[in-house]
Amino acid sequence: MKINEKIITKIEGEAKLKVYGEEIIDFVEIEFYNFRGIENYLVNRHYMDALVINPRVCGICGHSHLLATARAIEDAFNIKPSKKAQILREITTGLEIIQNHIKWFYITFMPEIIKDKSKMLKAISIASYASKIIALIAGQFPHNSYIIPGGVTCDLTNLEILKIEDMLKILKEQIIKEIIDESGYSKDLEIFFENVDKNIGKGINRFLVLGNNFYFKNNGELELVKEEKKNVFYDDKFFEVGPLSRNLENEVVKMIYKKYQDSVYSRVFARLYEMVLIIEYLLKIIKEIDICEENYIKHVPKNSKGVSVIEAPRGSLIHRIEIENEKIKKYDIIVPTQFNLSSYTKENPSPAQAALINERIENINIVFKCFDICSVCFTH
Amino acid sequence: MKEALMNTMRKRIEELRALPGVGEKSIKEVLEENGFTRRDFLKWSAALAMTLGLPASFAPVVAEAAEVSDRLPVVWLHLAECTGCSESLIRSDAPTIDDLIFNYINLQYHDTLMAAAGWQAEENYEEALKKFAGRFILCVEGGVPTKDGGEYLTIGAHAETGLEKLKRSADKAAAIIAVGTCSSFGGVQAAYPNPTGTVGISKVLNKPVINVPGCPPSAKNIVGTIVYYILFGALPAVDNFNRPKFAYGLRIHDLCERRGHFDAGEFVEQFGDTGAENGFCLYKVGCKGPYTFNNCSRERFNQHTSWPVQAGHGCIGCSEPDFWDAMAPYEEPLANHKFMSVNADAVADKVGLTLLTVAGVAIAAHAALSAIKNPKE
Ligand code: SF4
Ligand code: SF4
Repeated sequence: MKINEKIITKIEGEAKLKVYGEEIIDFVEIEFYNFRGIENYLVNRHYMDALVINPRVCGICGHSHLLATARAIEDAFNIKPSKKAQILREITTGLEIIQNHIKWFYITFMPEIIKDKSKMLKAISIASYASKIIALIAGQFPHNSYIIPGGVTCDLTNLEILKIEDMLKILKEQIIKEIIDESGYSKDLEIFFENVDKNIGKGINRFLVLGNNFYFKNNGELELVKEEKKNVFYDDKFFEVGPLSRNLENEVVKMIYKKYQDSVYSRVFARLYEMVLIIEYLLKIIKEIDICEENYIKHVPKNSKGVSVIEAPRGSLIHRIEIENEKIKKYDIIVPTQFNLSSYTKENPSPAQAALINERIENINIVFKCFDICSVCFTH
Repeated sequence: MKEALMNTMRKRIEELRALPGVGEKSIKEVLEENGFTRRDFLKWSAALAMTLGLPASFAPVVAEAAEVSDRLPVVWLHLAECTGCSESLIRSDAPTIDDLIFNYINLQYHDTLMAAAGWQAEENYEEALKKFAGRFILCVEGGVPTKDGGEYLTIGAHAETGLEKLKRSADKAAAIIAVGTCSSFGGVQAAYPNPTGTVGISKVLNKPVINVPGCPPSAKNIVGTIVYYILFGALPAVDNFNRPKFAYGLRIHDLCERRGHFDAGEFVEQFGDTGAENGFCLYKVGCKGPYTFNNCSRERFNQHTSWPVQAGHGCIGCSEPDFWDAMAPYEEPLANHKFMSVNADAVADKVGLTLLTVAGVAIAAHAALSAIKNPKE
């Protein structure tokens, strides 16, 4: 059998696919081959240092890593931040997801078929608007450190919150007008699929949601997650995580899923439509901010273990920390890309492998990229 | 003097103009397409002239330099990193004039952005090295792993190591700019115990490298450095860490909006206290502004929206060498040795190095700090 090696670029970093088969993909192995070793630097440092180091796992979703870190420490020390702090965190992490999805679709995915620079520029300007709102709360984007165990460092005035609300409204209008509307219609998405079969890339049809931030509801137990080398199993099986998995409860997404199952189209659709759902959610919770609440609650460190799981742009993200004498004894991160892009056997393939198997080779980029791959996260 | 300087620049611009450019359109057309007027452009040029420390009358020359900027194309190389630099530089702030000019002069070869500029593949990188040999500007993002022959980072179909690719590219470059702390000083990969042996690129090259650190660095500093090179054909004046003085000449602390509170001895004692509500100085909750040379307090981020100190978190010192080890713990004052968090012996020399170099300039601040701290403790 012919074996092809294919380098996939234009994702964050690059990946190597070892493809078996000629016109039709018989089997495929996925390899990321850069290594940075972030978890190693954390050992022996003060636990607060993780807040500054971990966002550097990834420049695209670093803010989710920051939140996961703070929540793991909070879990270890049993701290519960005020509702106000939690809402602010949801706003900034929600906006991170939105700007991620916009950039992913217009810069990484769409150019596979549609090479139109003006669309890209339009998208970038909407995404920068989202980043700007994050900066108002967090100081800058990417790589801020305003989330700390016990709350947030910023102290917003009523006026600032009103301003943020206004900006969220404008952002919502832009998304609806330029990208995808409330009914789920997206012109750019349809243009993309004009000559691409909407049914390609069906995966394993098993979905997992571990985080319950935003409006998401978890459907799994953390204890059942197992990491073996870089492969991640749930209950000894592979599961797909990400926007499609966590939005299946939504009527509009459900309709698309019924029609196209877990195909490339459904994944891309869910990712785009999630922006509308998240921004609506943010507009709802911002109204619940009680300005008089604490920004930050003080804590006393102790020897302990903590774990956190949140829904990040690409799916469920898990952080585990072990603290001894205020120092980190052990740190472990499992990123969503590991769930989706594990590399295993033909009999028991990961979601991405399953999606690629039996597809035509010319569709390889589209099918692979529809998972929104982040190799810098994978190789953390 | 001024005349002479202006003439040198004009001459250089003329020389560049004679070369073929990479851009298909003129910068004028690009800006117009994106809704910027000639006036906006001149305003931008005046601001950049100021950033570079040139008199306002140089604005038109800066504008001309921007116009011929595509004659010295920028080739972009990614090594071990988080891609946050490109995220910050090109994607979050677009499309300002900085970004457009940035796009205009390069990015054809910037991996994650290739889509944006023309979806080229690896071959184009090689083609660019050949075609523009001796005149392209090499921008490197990310540190270079050196342990075990650099095998922790391999690029492309032939599994070339990052180290080899960097050396080979640097050989042909006219100027080399290290973008971000990773590329300048190794960055987060190089933090103790540095499992991959990552270093800043200047450590493995025998050509001058100009460092534009920051995690992430600001677009203004990068564009400024490039335009400077175009104007003068030489890299700007640098400090002892090879950082351009125009951007890294002052400490964060010097222009910080909370500085008045520092001077008055008004500090946030812990996050969330009344001091935090009043916007007091963040020194005691770990601000490293007094030890950090950069212009964040002046330039801010995300279209001048804000910066970390404004959001209530201290500066973490991200543009200083080895800040990952030297500035930790990040939420405690440096003076607080009880918290010396990493393996203290292993990083003691790094800490010494960073602080020593600061000491010369910042001695006054140290004195001020102890003067204020003592009575309070
Ligand atoms: S300097 Fe910071 S932002 Fe840039 S690549 Fe390194 S970790 Fe990422
Ligand atoms: S110590 Fe930090 S917060 Fe205080 S004045 Fe200096 S830079 Fe500003």
